[in-house]
Amino acid sequence: MLLQVRNLRCGYGSLEVVHGVSLHVAAGEIVGLLGANGAGKSSLLKAIVGLLPAWAGSICLEGRQTRGQPAWRCISNSLVLVPEGKMIFADMTVRENLLMGGYHNPDRNLQLELVLQRYPPLAERLHQLGGTLSGGEQQMLALARALMARPKILLLDEPSMGLAPRLVDEMFAEILKMKDLGVTVLLVEQNAMATLRIADRAYVMETGEITLEGQAADLLHNPEVKRAYLGAAGREGWEG
Amino acid sequence: MNIFDRRYETMPRPELEQLQLERLQALLARLRRNVRRYRESLADLRVESLDDLARLPFTTPETLADAFPYGLFAFPLREIIRLHSAVGPEGRPMVIGHTRNDLTQWSRLAARQLAAAGMTANDVIQISLGRAATAAASGYLLGAELIEASVIAEDPLHLDYQLAMLQNYRPTVLITTPTHAVDFARCLEQRRIDPQSLHLRSVLLSRNVNPQIREQVASGLFASVRCTFGLGEILDPGLCVECEAGQFHINEDQFLPEICDGELIITTLAREALPLLRYRTRLAAGLRREKCSCGRTGALVEPGHRLDRQFRFREITFYEAQIAHVLAQTPAAGHRFEVQLTETQLTIAIEISQDLFANTLTSAENPRRQIELELLARLGLEAEVRFVEPKR
Repeated sequence: MLLQVRNLRCGYGSLEVVHGVSLHVAAGEIVGLLGANGAGKSSLLKAIVGLLPAWAGSICLEGRQTRGQPAWRCISNSLVLVPEGKMIFADMTVRENLLMGGYHNPDRNLQLELVLQRYPPLAERLHQLGGTLSGGEQQMLALARALMARPKILLLDEPSMGLAPRLVDEMFAEILKMKDLGVTVLLVEQNAMATLRIADRAYVMETGEITLEGQAADLLHNPEVKRAYLGAAGREGWEG
Repeated sequence: MNIFDRRYETMPRPELEQLQLERLQALLARLRRNVRRYRESLADLRVESLDDLARLPFTTPETLADAFPYGLFAFPLREIIRLHSAVGPEGRPMVIGHTRNDLTQWSRLAARQLAAAGMTANDVIQISLGRAATAAASGYLLGAELIEASVIAEDPLHLDYQLAMLQNYRPTVLITTPTHAVDFARCLEQRRIDPQSLHLRSVLLSRNVNPQIREQVASGLFASVRCTFGLGEILDPGLCVECEAGQFHINEDQFLPEICDGELIITTLAREALPLLRYRTRLAAGLRREKCSCGRTGALVEPGHRLDRQFRFREITFYEAQIAHVLAQTPAAGHRFEVQLTETQLTIAIEISQDLFANTLTSAENPRRQIELELLARLGLEAEVRFVEPKR
């Protein structure tokens, strides 16, 4: 198990938004985390990397407890978060953005070449300012910047948000390719269909707790998932 | 060694326990949301480790029977695509529902057992379980289709026809009940047919039997014999896998077992239509978590005797209460009786009284025959009725 989370609680102020969540990600897997707005998915990711203090529970990376460690230490633990809304440095060039992603990596220039081979469009715009890239290119830059840290596990928060439909498909294809690089992925998404198509397993989160876990292909057929996330007919409970 | 689902069947213990905890927490969230009875009994109870399981309420067979037909279902009937019935406490009916995913999962779990018994896509499988086990037959069928074996989708009722099928279709695997296997071995012997002339390689029995019967079937049909162990309300087949070492491994990624006062308790971790929390199986059992030479990590279960006066005769399960119910419609109404059961004989010993023969002018044969026919018609039981002197 690469990442193991148990009974994690976190929140803002006195408001708890994640109520004791347990999940795990095995090496080489793509694991989806689905849920509606406000379910606590992003807060959970932030707590895993240490951007949000965890109130209770445990977070283990390769068997070592990381809860309570500062966020910057996560990167050296090979756990990298690509936050929602890309968060690239708009006033820096593509090259500077990428180097920032590998600032702790002594081999960052070598890694830069590898990453640019993987994303040729970025190589062409190496000296352009990040803020002048298109939405799809910015998302690509955010992914490439994460790869600069040579992560074992990538946490992706809504990578398809704000992208044109064609670019969304490309983004998911790109995530699927992470498998070839040996990078494990925990993918938070609202695009349930696309996520379940590329993921191995997935969790469904609702109002701060996990309500389903299973193989992604099975969740595509789960009546609740279909109703809530795949646009099937309205909700009806059976009360006997 | 054939392990169908290596990831889950051989999952290291710490990983398995993490998965079980995750699934248990998700199960509680779903039960609270989707099943009224559980919402009331669970209230705010939460679990932070598998040890907390002991704080959660049990589900009894009586609760399941009280909820008849669909009261414990977690989904509306529209989402349920398969319904099976099971015999509940004292013969009360219970309905077991399955969603599409439940059936998919069932096929995988049944396939685990078939693969462990050495079956592959090269086998021709005959499933012959009779009327009493149509639900189990459908489970084996799902599993056999998943491993892409050729399945003979016919269940011959008569031994002659069965024999003809074994000779003509040349199945290599026979999935059947112990009763039928023994009958069939006896039939071959009586007709002096060499079991080696059949192509049977292995026989999978639908329930656990003692070593003598295993040996009898193995030599009588000249095939290796494996058993399954399942429970109708939980999953049968699919609860366990009998491995190469002859041990029953619970499929612990799907079912969380406990033993309370000697009774086997099962929590279904991933079932969609009818999730059961700490279901009391009314079966005595032993549970061990230790290494097995087959490599599977699921807990080892040793099934024991029933704790609820449930009987089985020639694969038909029944309760004493059901016999009483049938007797109530005959001249023996209100009489004390005793169920006497051996492997080959079911006797209902009824305490005799004058009322029993009140309206009969001829011999004692009449009420006896009447009761026997009634038992056969209503419960499918071929029982012998004996009248005995009242005990003082």
